[in-house]
Amino acid sequence: MPGPRRTRRATDWQALLWLGPSLLLIGGVVLYPAARLVQASLSQYSVTGLYQGWVGLRNYARLLRQEALVTVAMNTVVWVAVIVVVTVLISLALAQLLDRRFPGRRLVRWALIVPWAASLIVTSKLFVWIYDYYFGILNPVLQSLGVLAQPVDWLGDDSTVMGAMIAVGVFVSLPFTSYVLLAGLQTIPADVYEAARVDGASAWRTYRSVTLPLLRPALLVAAVLNIIYVFNSFPIVWTLNDRNPGFGHDTMITYMYKIAFKSSLRDVGLAAALGVVNVALILVAVIVYLRTVRWREAEA
Amino acid sequence: MRRVMPVLLLSVVISFLAIACDRGPSAKSGGVASIKVVIADYSKDNTRPFWQALSAAYTKQTGVKVDLQVIDWNSIDQQVTTMIQNNQPPDVLNLNSFSSYAKDGLLNSSEDVLSAKTRDDFLAAFARGGEYQGKLYGFPILSSARAFFYNKSLFAKAKIAAPPKTWDEFVKTAQKITALGKGTIGYALPLGPEEAQAEWSIWMWNNGGDWKSGDQWAINSEKNLQTLKFLADLANTHKVTQVNPGKTNRTDGAFQLFKDGKVGMVMGFSPLAKQLDAEGKVDYGVTEMPTNAGAAVTLGVEDYLMAFKKKGNQEAVTKFLDLYYQPENITRWITAEGFLPVTKSGLDQMRSNAKLKPYLDALPNARLVPTTDPAWDKVKLDVQQNIGLAVQPGGNPKQVLDQLQKNATTAGGR
Repeated sequence: MPGPRRTRRATDWQALLWLGPSLLLIGGVVLYPAARLVQASLSQYSVTGLYQGWVGLRNYARLLRQEALVTVAMNTVVWVAVIVVVTVLISLALAQLLDRRFPGRRLVRWALIVPWAASLIVTSKLFVWIYDYYFGILNPVLQSLGVLAQPVDWLGDDSTVMGAMIAVGVFVSLPFTSYVLLAGLQTIPADVYEAARVDGASAWRTYRSVTLPLLRPALLVAAVLNIIYVFNSFPIVWTLNDRNPGFGHDTMITYMYKIAFKSSLRDVGLAAALGVVNVALILVAVIVYLRTVRWREAEA
Repeated sequence: MRRVMPVLLLSVVISFLAIACDRGPSAKSGGVASIKVVIADYSKDNTRPFWQALSAAYTKQTGVKVDLQVIDWNSIDQQVTTMIQNNQPPDVLNLNSFSSYAKDGLLNSSEDVLSAKTRDDFLAAFARGGEYQGKLYGFPILSSARAFFYNKSLFAKAKIAAPPKTWDEFVKTAQKITALGKGTIGYALPLGPEEAQAEWSIWMWNNGGDWKSGDQWAINSEKNLQTLKFLADLANTHKVTQVNPGKTNRTDGAFQLFKDGKVGMVMGFSPLAKQLDAEGKVDYGVTEMPTNAGAAVTLGVEDYLMAFKKKGNQEAVTKFLDLYYQPENITRWITAEGFLPVTKSGLDQMRSNAKLKPYLDALPNARLVPTTDPAWDKVKLDVQQNIGLAVQPGGNPKQVLDQLQKNATTAGGR
């Protein structure tokens, strides 16, 4: 006896039933907050957070007139670009190392996860104390090594704050990136290397012509996700920069928070407008990046 | 793509439905079953236990449940703003500002939610500090006063007989302590964003300046410019402060250095004394602020309780506030936290405590920052974010004060 034929319609409804929970979840934690963000960016709020009416695009116009915006935008570019590039370069080396067999490899692999597993706030606080001018361990170490003649106020000196924050940013981004690249390395079949060896390619040549091209999908994933994570990173900049007045070392994300709650603007609407701009920026940045590295080609 | 569209549309519809649903508070007619009480976290050991016990007693007495939220100072502004933005304000809120909330018409005044007995018990200065347009909206919850802390061992080493009374003596004292070397710091000056307005207020007042002159902001007055230049000189000319005072916060900066015995002098308050006593590492004295204007002035800080207007909550809130303001309750808590009283009955009870004497003595001469002006909530943040820049090498005190003045004047308009 042939089974009952299902109509296309019923299949669609059944699919919807199964998709339902995840749709609700996406609606609740992605679309709903996004819609509220856009709504807030078009509204005026008093200093207490009380809704005072619809103002159209006025918040966006005001945002463009903020003096600090250029500095903050430049900071953000430096913050994202340097961390992502340095992280990927170091991670390439780390992944290569972890791909080799050596005694204690398991231990090293576990150790690499630690900065990833620790809370960002805890890590940042730890670095605040490492960098501290009076109590920190970094100055005495560098002085005893003869690198520094005088102690440096790493988090107070305008010329070192960004570098100090970037170092922490790289430190916490390494585990994830290394593991993505390690996974990429392990998908490269051994016989390709075999062929390269038979052809008499040098180690460097093999790396450049075999490993790197085959690692491309993993590199893309690592770079794109890092751009997004680093751009959106709040705790490091917030914690390491909390002693500094003004907006001289803020990124778009901490600037947004300061606009809403910690500056004389104290304006949720304006901060929401910057939030929308941030989402748009990160989308554009990722699209431009994927276009330049020709995503489709890499897929093939 | 054709199949994705309906799914996307559905999600969009769902999210907009959700937006529509959470508009408007869920008000019940006549009386409420529970009230939301939001309290700032003054200390891990005392705040939550006290308010939990008080809430339990309240529920037992009235049958009204308490949704108690104890929120740390770093995020309370953010969380309260979000509550109000989402139309879910608390019934009772504890914060260090109130007038913006009164201005927005969100609060009940004391006449609506406090008994006459409670209202009459407030110390006059603190009751005045909670008034907006002639009515009491910010009910004093506790107070504190700053005092001048000095390290007795360092004073002895530098052969300084007594703490400085004037600014000239202060500079000389700081120089002698700094001259001890080995990283010793004469005075720890915290003008970083955490609490710069407090440090600045004290120096400003002790030079005869003020935030306002009459009803007008006077942040860039001649006196204040002189004061800010004096502070910049401490850092850059006399070099008697810690490194980068414009980028040092109070709690993990200046206080930390003083607790470590590296600092000769710092402006502290009773909770710092409590920590110093607990650690027992530094032999310290507490005295009046050095002054350049004759009489020493200190900063009094008053925090507030506010009663939000919500349908049917008036009776429940009144009973809750009455319970807190029972002399034994409010005094028990203020004593536990190491703060100062805001009520006459509390002052009478706490006078006997010798440890509190320097602060209680200072209280009559304590001045409050202009929290009664709604513009203050923005001015305070502006000062926190900017005044530190003036004492950095190459900083421009005049430009910083002029900008603060300009922003303060426009903040009132908005």
